[in-house]
Amino acid sequence: MDQNTFVPGGPEENRAAFRTLFDAYSPAAMAMAVNILGNRADAEDACQETFIQVYRHLDHFDSRRSFKTWFTAILYRRCFDQLRRRRRSLALLRKVESDPVVLPTAAPASSPANRSLPAGLLDRLNAKERTALCLWANDGYTAGEISEVLRCTPGTARVYLFQARKKIKKLLEKDHDFLQRC
Amino acid sequence: MISCNAADFLYRLLPVKPWRGFLIRVHFDRCPHCQKQLAGAAEARTLFVQEADFRPGVALWQGIAGSLAEEDGATPEKPVLAAGSRIWRWAAAGIIVAFMVGYWAWKDNRPDGVPVAASASARFELEYVRVGGQPADAYVYQPQGSDMIIVWAGKAN
Repeated sequence: MDQNTFVPGGPEENRAAFRTLFDAYSPAAMAMAVNILGNRADAEDACQETFIQVYRHLDHFDSRRSFKTWFTAILYRRCFDQLRRRRRSLALLRKVESDPVVLPTAAPASSPANRSLPAGLLDRLNAKERTALCLWANDGYTAGEISEVLRCTPGTARVYLFQARKKIKKLLEKDHDFLQRC
Repeated sequence: MISCNAADFLYRLLPVKPWRGFLIRVHFDRCPHCQKQLAGAAEARTLFVQEADFRPGVALWQGIAGSLAEEDGATPEKPVLAAGSRIWRWAAAGIIVAFMVGYWAWKDNRPDGVPVAASASARFELEYVRVGGQPADAYVYQPQGSDMIIVWAGKAN
């Protein structure tokens, strides 16, 4: 399955061919978007924007490059836009909610119920580290391919990946020690 | 190869990505001891959702197909101007029209020393016109705003 499935024609033919492309790429796209954004609603928005952009710009795709990497780079940009939007709306919410809010009494942070689950470990990574780690672990991307997605040098991509792996290892070890003590 | 401690020290010493990338390439990626300090692909994979957890979403496709149909079918809409832009557009048009009218009025009644061409009757006089030895009718024309005078003579019936 590649971009050659999409044959230029009338709108109906184009959309039928694009549906095939969508079926092939949407599960991987959703997985990556959820991994970067952390929730399904935002991931669906990012995926929708990505597929629309791919449809619009498919004729600009350079066939010498990998279609998957090109597609992933667009998806990453859209996820990054979602994160920016989320940050802006959170900042706005913080401004609006200036009145003190009475929160329900929380269990102490050290209690097992409040310990972050393994998925929460990803929150410790920034978006670039998380993307680099996700592409490397899930899809077997190399530093060079990650750099194409993140639009940076391979050396910089290597640093993001290295830092992500190091942080995760430390956090996993900490979690493991904690669970053994419990 | 530099020792692990030295590599770690150098890595922390200079937080510049090209430098760190270089150290990773020449030491951390090759050193088995340092590799043990990093999460492996299998470990990391447990933190992420996988492609197999998702199926092509019908609702997602419907949203995309709707947008694509709008793009394919709809004629490009003219951008709607804001009220402020419309006011400025009309004001600019009014200024241009006023300027043109003013210019034409000024051109026809120039106040400076340049005299406007006097009427044909004031500047031109014909006592008598004969055509073929016979008295003839004469007509004098002067195009508006021009110094040129045209005399038309024709045999009187």
